[in-house]
Order: sequence, then structure tokens, then C-alpha cells
Amino acid sequence: MKEEPVSDALLRQLLLGQVDDQERQRLESMFVTGALSRERVIAAEQHLLDDFLDDSLTPADRERFLAQYGETPAEQRKLRIAKSIQDWAASGAAVTAAGAAAGSRWSRLRARFRLQPVFMIPIAAVIVLAIVFAVIALRSRWEQRNRYLAMEQELARLNTPSMLRDVPSTMPPLTLRPGAVRSAEAETELTPPANAQFVELHLVWTQKERYPSYHATIRKIDEEQRYTVRDLQLDNSNTIQFRVPAHYLTRGLYQIEVNGIGADGTTGPAEEYQFQVNK
Amino acid sequence: MARDSSIPPESFDEILAWLNPDRDVAGSIYVQLREDLTKIFTWNRCADPEGLTDEVFDRVAKKVHHLKDSYVGDPKLYFYGVARNLIKEIPKKVKMQTSLQGTEPASDPRRELEQETAMMREDCLRSCLQKLRKDKRELILEYYAKDKQAKIDHRTEMAERLGITVETLRVKAYRIRATLEQCIERCLERMAQNK
Repeated sequence: MKEEPVSDALLRQLLLGQVDDQERQRLESMFVTGALSRERVIAAEQHLLDDFLDDSLTPADRERFLAQYGETPAEQRKLRIAKSIQDWAASGAAVTAAGAAAGSRWSRLRARFRLQPVFMIPIAAVIVLAIVFAVIALRSRWEQRNRYLAMEQELARLNTPSMLRDVPSTMPPLTLRPGAVRSAEAETELTPPANAQFVELHLVWTQKERYPSYHATIRKIDEEQRYTVRDLQLDNSNTIQFRVPAHYLTRGLYQIEVNGIGADGTTGPAEEYQFQVNK
Repeated sequence: MARDSSIPPESFDEILAWLNPDRDVAGSIYVQLREDLTKIFTWNRCADPEGLTDEVFDRVAKKVHHLKDSYVGDPKLYFYGVARNLIKEIPKKVKMQTSLQGTEPASDPRRELEQETAMMREDCLRSCLQKLRKDKRELILEYYAKDKQAKIDHRTEMAERLGITVETLRVKAYRIRATLEQCIERCLERMAQNK
């Protein structure tokens, strides 16, 4: 007897526990005997997990998924590990993208030279000379850039949803309200404990408009360097949780600018927060 | 070859011989069959799928001496039949109260345990990623680097660049993730023992 083909939709129904007993036994028998390719089943399971991690399952499917793959402690541990991998990868995405953009600039330059070979020798000589004279300056800038990238990565990691959710702060959060920059009131003061790895700030969002996500940019007043953390979320109490590495905070005045990001990627009006670090 | 249950060695040899006359081929069929049955128990929402898979092999081991001469058909279907009987016999897994969302109050001891584990998990993830081969590490990080709609386009582009289908890319990601999971689980267990 010829077996009926198994569609992706049917496979997904099997994995979500939505097939009747007869169909289940047919598919499971095919799976055990190899008539239903293991690779297809694995791909379908991975697809389902991806959708779960991206929150793109319907509420009913999410419930079914958790009933199948998230009930026992061992299953929950696997899901938490998968989420950690995703969060970790997502936190490194900005750095990777920056590296790729730098690479493409060089590629464009190289392609341009290749089009005009007559200029290659003098241009190359100038470049070599420029490199020689710029070595010391470049080294310093590279070190600065590496520190910057490391800091951005650390900020991104500290503010991943799983870190915010699962790792508690060792000190009480500091609540900041917007507008201190413009008003004459004294800045909120902060003294991070010596053993704190990070400081948790609760940024009160006072705008009526709510956005799917928020970007926060922190800088020390009178310093050029600024760091941006993306995809922050507003909680039910109109507060944005934002963590900053304690080692970044030295004595001085800090400013945070927060923008809401619309579903179409447009940036809403900014809120500014300010605080003073004493240490 | 390691066995995971209490099957006597002679019965285990008979099982292998029944699966395939070539011991090496039989060995890989055995390993694959174990994985398949474990998956089936998971799909049927059984608690302890690995333990139940052991039980299937234990039950078959008791009859294999006669079965190998009398049974007609693919032996794997016999194992599956035993698994189906087990599924009917045992109660479904009990829903655990631990939340994935971490919504419990911080004073809940389970939550505190989970918070502790999250930090350990991050350390283990970092160390296990370093143990992965560079191409695999890059693939898994790139695979998970985007989300939502950007993810779909990104993975299609990744698959094209690697010259494979998106489905094959998912299988690759699944296998690397499974390796990482095992490494992280071992690492977490070591950390817990050293505490």
C-alpha cells in the first residue's frame, strides 16, 4: 500500500500534539522505519523552536508547544539553554554588523582602485606613507575601538531579556524620571557598591505613546563616547529596565537618552534622564 | 558499545543481531532507534522519555531469543509496538510549576535557584561556544543573530551563501544546538557539584 505523503503542516500538527491517535501511529511508524525522513522531522522541530523563541507562535500553539516541550524540568532547561544561545547571538549582532560594514567599505575602495589601474602605484605609495605615519595614532584608536566594542557588547549582554529576567541586581534599582536635564532640580545621585557588577536603572517613561521597543544611549557628560542599547522594553508600570556595568561608572554626571522605536522603525521623541555618580 | 539499561549482555547481542547481521550496522541502528523512541515518548508527553526507552529495550530483551526467529517484518516496528503499549500504560507527565517567563516573586526558592542557574548558564554557554569548531560557532551565532521577519530573510540568505536549503540549515543549527546543550548541561552539572 502506498503511504500518503506527509506535508509540513501535518508534521507540525504531530509535533504540537494535534493529530488523532490513528494518524499519530501512522506517522510514528513511518518515522521509526525511516519512511518519514528524520531530517525533515528535525528541521520541523527546529522551525517550531525558532518560532517559539521569536514569540511568533499563536497563543494556542505556544501553549501546545510548552505542553509538548516545556513541562518537565529537563525540557525547561533545554528551552532556557536555547533561549540563552539566541540572546547571546542577538547581543553580538550589532558588533558583527559593524565589522561587516567596515569590510564592505574596504571592498568598495578596492574595487574602485581596480577600475583605474593607472593610479594604483602613486596611490599605493601614498597609502603606505600614510600608514607609516599613522601607526601610533591607529594603534591608539584601535585600542579605543576595541574598548568601545567590548563595552557595547557587555551592555547588550546585560540588557538581554533573559539576563534582565533571570539575573537579579545585587543592589536596589535607581529610579530616574525624565527632565532633570531641563529642570533646575538636583540630579539623582548614585554610589555603586564596590562588589556590584552592574547597576540597574529604572527609567520612568512619561510619554503617552508606547512603542514596540526602545533604544537607550548613555554617555558621560563632557565625554564624546556614547553607547546605545537596542530593543529595550517598557513594562506594565511604564518603566524601562536598563543595566550599566559598574566599572563604566566613574565619578561624574551621566545622561541617558531614550527613544521609542515604532513598528516601522521610525524613532519617536526622546526622553532624557540624568544622574550623578559619586565614587 | 554502551548500554543504558539493565539488559543482560547476551540479550543485548541478540537484539543487535536481530536488528542487523552486521554488528556495526546494528550498532548504528540501535543508537538511532533509541533516539527515535525517545522522541516518540516526548511527542506523547511522557515523563522521562529516556527511561521509557530503556524500558522498551528491557522488555524486548526478555523476548528477543524467540522473537528473532518468529517475528516477520521490520524489527523496529516491534520496538515501536512495545513503546505504544508503554505509552498507554503510563500516566502523562505532571505539569511542573516552574515558569519559563520567570514571573514568580524573587523570594520563591525555585526562582532563586533559577536565577543562580542563569548566571552559571551564561558562563557555561561562553565556555561551550569556545569549544565548538570555529565554523560551527559562527554558524550557530549567525543563525540566531536576527529575529522576527529579519530572521527569515537572513536565514534564506545564509542558506544561499552556504549552498544548502533552509531546511538543511535548520538541521545543521539543530545539531550544533544539541551539541551545545549537552556541553552546557554537563558544565552546569559540574558547577553544581563543585558548589
